[in-house]
Amino acid sequence: MLFVQLLLGGVQNGALYALTAAGFALIFGATKVFHVAHGSAFTLAGYVFLYGWTHNWNSLLSSLAAVAVAVAFGVGMERLVYRPIQRHEGSFFTVFVAAFGVSIVVQNLVGVFAGRGFASIDTPLSNASEVLPELFLADVFWVAILVALVMFVALTLFLSRTNAGVALRALAQNPDLLRAYGLSSSRLSMLAFALGSALVAPAAILTAMTTGLNEAVGNHVMLLSMASTIVGGVGSLRGAALAGLLLGVAESVVLVFLETQWASAASFLVLFGFILFKPSGMFGAAVAK
Amino acid sequence: MLEFSRRALLGSALTAPFIRGAAAQDGPYILGSVFPQSGPNAEYGGVFTAGVQLAIQHMEADKMLKRPIRYISEDSQALPQQGVIAMTKLVNIDKAHWTFAAFTAVSKAVAPIGDRAKTVMINGGAVGPDLSGLSPYFWNVIPLAHLETRALLPYLVGQGKKRFALVYVDDPLGDAILKELTEQLPKVGAELVGSFSIPRDAQQFGPVAARVRQVRPDAVYIASFGAQQSQIIKGLRNNGVSQQLCSYSAMNLASVGSLPESEGMTFTVQKVDYAGGDALTRRFAEDFRRAHNKEPTVYNANYYNGTRLFGLLAAELEKTNTAVTGDSLKDTLHRVKKFPLVGGLGEFDAQGNMMAAIEVVQWKGGQLVKLA
Repeated sequence: MLFVQLLLGGVQNGALYALTAAGFALIFGATKVFHVAHGSAFTLAGYVFLYGWTHNWNSLLSSLAAVAVAVAFGVGMERLVYRPIQRHEGSFFTVFVAAFGVSIVVQNLVGVFAGRGFASIDTPLSNASEVLPELFLADVFWVAILVALVMFVALTLFLSRTNAGVALRALAQNPDLLRAYGLSSSRLSMLAFALGSALVAPAAILTAMTTGLNEAVGNHVMLLSMASTIVGGVGSLRGAALAGLLLGVAESVVLVFLETQWASAASFLVLFGFILFKPSGMFGAAVAK
Repeated sequence: MLEFSRRALLGSALTAPFIRGAAAQDGPYILGSVFPQSGPNAEYGGVFTAGVQLAIQHMEADKMLKRPIRYISEDSQALPQQGVIAMTKLVNIDKAHWTFAAFTAVSKAVAPIGDRAKTVMINGGAVGPDLSGLSPYFWNVIPLAHLETRALLPYLVGQGKKRFALVYVDDPLGDAILKELTEQLPKVGAELVGSFSIPRDAQQFGPVAARVRQVRPDAVYIASFGAQQSQIIKGLRNNGVSQQLCSYSAMNLASVGSLPESEGMTFTVQKVDYAGGDALTRRFAEDFRRAHNKEPTVYNANYYNGTRLFGLLAAELEKTNTAVTGDSLKDTLHRVKKFPLVGGLGEFDAQGNMMAAIEVVQWKGGQLVKLA
């Protein structure tokens, strides 16, 4: 039963990792911007929801506010940080340092305004009950699975059935050709940042309910998003989502065989395994140079 | 136009370091801290700093010293590497007379730097037992973990808790608590039925809860700190661990007390009577409440005491016109031994550890309730 317990717990965490990883992969795949501040969108969304919750806002309003802030942050980063840098020289390192700097600023601002320390949402959704002997499950498990599924189905439909979605995929594959057809890569970049950032909001809200928040929570999210993008195959949204799920399951199920201190390391063992034996990731295309 | 000869310029340059040294004798006393001011343990930094600042305010109001005090706060992020950088700056650049450290791993990392520079380091927050005797200049104004566990375990065993599980952070503090429980539990008729090490950056505790449930403990001891300890409490409680939770003084934080899952958390703290204590203790508590609109914690009191101790020692030295150095402060500490501090008369042993009474408390409805 321990295996089943750990597997289900891993699926719950993996669903949340999948959402954040898919957001990062969408942004990176479409714009080629290594958006290190993606974790900050997660932090901001979580704290905005927490603010709404503690001030007795309606849950839907709090959720919408969290999504709005995450989207505003992502679009703001694209407009005010990445684009001015890319207009001049746009080296990978400059973009990386700028994003990293912004994430530190956000972390400190959250600490100043929301308080330094642990904060969480007290809800019965996260209280597990014994559904079978030795098997505990909280309602938030079903919520996490459902939200992740709905978000992925909606995203897949958007990317495959709408003009904007198809254009976004085209931007990822050939931005020059896209411009030759008269489409605005600038607007599509903004759209990629908006969608990618919106995906972290549900994960942030559910994390606030389950493991809680602190101003540095985004660092962990960012590490997992990067690992998932590499494991899933750079540029593959489906790959990043599946890899997020895989990493969540790995860091939980590994406790069947190993001591608890290896839980976090399991994710990165999976990452190293892929880097060594399948560098193109689960769904990435091998590139010959 | 002023003109300087080459010889005069050379002479001025050569004497500059000595002029600075002379000025330093008349300048302010430099107090520096190596506390986490950012990251998941930043809450502690704010708590520790509040104690230092209130003590400086009181010392200045009382005109305790002839020279002013300058306080420099450096951010350790509760990480040894950052702590070493901060401490190096404090002793080598700022020439601090007195420094504050916190967190076992950070304290152990910075101690050799303070030791080489003969700068006093005060710990009022870390509880690793091996912090005792770390350096002749490293003093503890907090009871260390071995004293805390030896007060807590007999109480819990008396409550019928015989099987203990330990969830501990993989750092010197966690290792020290593991060693302590392994040695002490059999002595009080109990046993350690499971120990679960977790990395410092771990955030998911659902899987750990599943492993803890498997060993069927009567009580679960949590040895962590900062945001992580709250995450552990929430993770265990939300995932079916309903047994008694217990810990050490790190649980004496507002964010832990306000967590609904902390209800019933039992732990040890130093005994300080803010309402019925001496005038100094009451003044500390009243001014703290006025400044922060909340009750002080023992961490506030510890760093207040650590700062006040400097004032008392430096005042002793000023009386005899003795230079305030690490050595003169150390000699005075060992000569005087007993000092009026918050909580009563603080007495230091030969290794620079302040002895203090410990009590068992519990979070109940967000309030600390004394148990024993």
